[in-house]
Amino acid sequence: MEEYIVSLDNLKKIADELLNNHCRVIGTTSENKFKELNYAEELVLNPGAVPTSSSFKEFFFPKTEPLFFYKQNHSNVDLFNPIQDKSKIVIIGAKPCDAASLPIISKVFNWDYKDDLFNSRYDNSLIIGMSCHYSDEFCFCNDLGSSPENMKGSDVFLKPLADNYFKVVSVTPKGAEFINEYQKYFEKDLGKNKSLERKEENPKHFDYDKVKTWLDNNFENKFWDTAGEMCLGCAQCAFVCPTCHCFDIVDEQNGSCAGRRAKNWDACQFSLFTKHASGHNPRDNQEKRYRQRISHKFKYYMDKFDEVLCTGCGRCSRGCPVSLDILQIVEEINSLSGNSNSIQ
Amino acid sequence: MNELKQICKEALTEKKARFIIAYREDKNKKTKPFIARTPEDAEQIIFNHQAVNNLAVYFPRFKNSGEGKIGIVVKSCDLKAVTALIQENQIKRDDLFIIGVNCSGVVRDTTMEFSNDNTQIKCKYCQAKTPPYYDELAEESKEFEMPDDDQAELMARIEKMSSDERLEFWSAEFEKCIKCYACRQVCPMCYCEKCIVEKSEPQWIDTSSTARGNFSWNIIRAFHMAGRCIGCHECERACPMDIPLTLLTRKMGMVASSEFGYRHGMSLTEPALIGTYSTSDKEDFIK
Ligand code: SF4
Ligand code: SF4
Ligand code: SF4
Ligand code: SF4
Ligand code: SF4
Repeated sequence: MEEYIVSLDNLKKIADELLNNHCRVIGTTSENKFKELNYAEELVLNPGAVPTSSSFKEFFFPKTEPLFFYKQNHSNVDLFNPIQDKSKIVIIGAKPCDAASLPIISKVFNWDYKDDLFNSRYDNSLIIGMSCHYSDEFCFCNDLGSSPENMKGSDVFLKPLADNYFKVVSVTPKGAEFINEYQKYFEKDLGKNKSLERKEENPKHFDYDKVKTWLDNNFENKFWDTAGEMCLGCAQCAFVCPTCHCFDIVDEQNGSCAGRRAKNWDACQFSLFTKHASGHNPRDNQEKRYRQRISHKFKYYMDKFDEVLCTGCGRCSRGCPVSLDILQIVEEINSLSGNSNSIQ
Repeated sequence: MNELKQICKEALTEKKARFIIAYREDKNKKTKPFIARTPEDAEQIIFNHQAVNNLAVYFPRFKNSGEGKIGIVVKSCDLKAVTALIQENQIKRDDLFIIGVNCSGVVRDTTMEFSNDNTQIKCKYCQAKTPPYYDELAEESKEFEMPDDDQAELMARIEKMSSDERLEFWSAEFEKCIKCYACRQVCPMCYCEKCIVEKSEPQWIDTSSTARGNFSWNIIRAFHMAGRCIGCHECERACPMDIPLTLLTRKMGMVASSEFGYRHGMSLTEPALIGTYSTSDKEDFIK
């Protein structure tokens, strides 16, 4: 197969064409945030940038979205479907720890119930990933079988070359089709542009299998009494996380006899999350709620969907107001797992 | 540094406090809150420019949690929260063992070193580097050059705006809100067992992150802070969407001060403004 490279300028021209074709083009900007671009010049691709403070999940799973609208009509209730934006979504410049999240959460959105809202966006999307040249004490993609060069979740993958060029890798049939469609912007790779390599390897921190085994056996362990002790129970971690996918369904009135039913982000760190109508709350303190967060990510999701519900992006830790660091918690579990059979 | 450790160790050894809410450094040299229960734990206690958290936020968790005093390490600004909680009858002075630290400023961005450009707004107008009262005091305060209070400039600019312009300013800010409630969870003055946004029969405030829902949330939070915010700036620091939340709460504190001559968290004996009524209370500024 032919090998291609593309210049940043041409990538922007592609973005312009996509915008003209009524696609929603999402890219990182000078503020290092994912944003729906208004024009291609807003796009800034920096492989050395820290992961954006929020993930791009809102473009597939918005923070709030109507399921239907209702209006009382004498003794009947009329229901109206919301108008859905069916435009194709193109993400440009996703890091491996961003792109990998989509196939992971797609599993829960296609389990017993097929979530049309998520699927209609994800199926009609194209993810252009890019290798990552950043690393800090919160990153741990390497520990989860991924890497800064991993192409999971990407349809097309870019590898930075010198002089604002990128080597282009076609990952999926969708990606190949895309490269074909915009052929005129891609150049044959003559191997002239030096490739920009990462300066250093990411270190390894833990052995996931050991962590999983420990979690399998230690639901009741005194470790949990202090692990999440300082957690304040906000949802910063869940809402910025690319893989957290919990939602709540609420009815909201607007006017006297009308309103909407909406699907809103929710998170297990809220005390209300598991509160029953009876008033009973099985996760009645923050320590239990924190155990849920870690267990769902590193055990339950694996049991059910054969994936770790975490890509190691480190966002949750970077933004935590009390500096609770998920990697350090998992590392502690890893060191406890030396004697994983001792259930305390 | 050692002085603080020593004080805490003694307090735990001599059972002056049953535990101490303090700061420690983790293995990545990140300063974070923790609870020291034993004299050995106290070895980990530190204080530095990265000690941003207002630890008074943890008090509600220990309500009716047993006999003995709760120890807490406080900066001068944090102590205002402690005082305010005493004024609002949330905690008793006698139940606390207060370890004050002299503070010479904390960072705004915890990923960077302390510098003039990286100083919390509150430090720029902080009036007491030494907590006004305490059971023990640790640390020598170092003088530091106070950078300009850039928030005051922004506040002046907003005050000059027409109401339409202001609406536009705040609409753009609130649109970013994702309703993670980090602002509420880090706030030492947000201690309601059931927040108004959690009251669902009926639902007073939309839980959706729509324009209406976000406005309702942010405005109700600001209202509930009127004359109660003690200015720790934790809400703004915690907000993942970088919404300048303290513009509102600081402004309301300024109104409480100019209209009622009251500043919250400044006196253990003065009744809280929000909980008292006086026939001489002005209302002419309410428009
Ligand atoms: S871990 Fe941090 S971000 Fe997550 S809920 Fe707890 S305090 Fe909030
Ligand atoms: S749990 Fe934290 S590190 Fe893992 S994917 Fe979510 S935000 Fe990233
Ligand atoms: S960690 Fe919590 S918020 Fe995130 S997906 Fe799991 S249960 Fe939901
Ligand atoms: S409103 Fe903000 S600044 Fe005021 S007390 Fe609460 S967290 Fe501190
Ligand atoms: S912390 Fe910021 S984003 Fe979160 S609820 Fe408060 S204002 Fe909204």
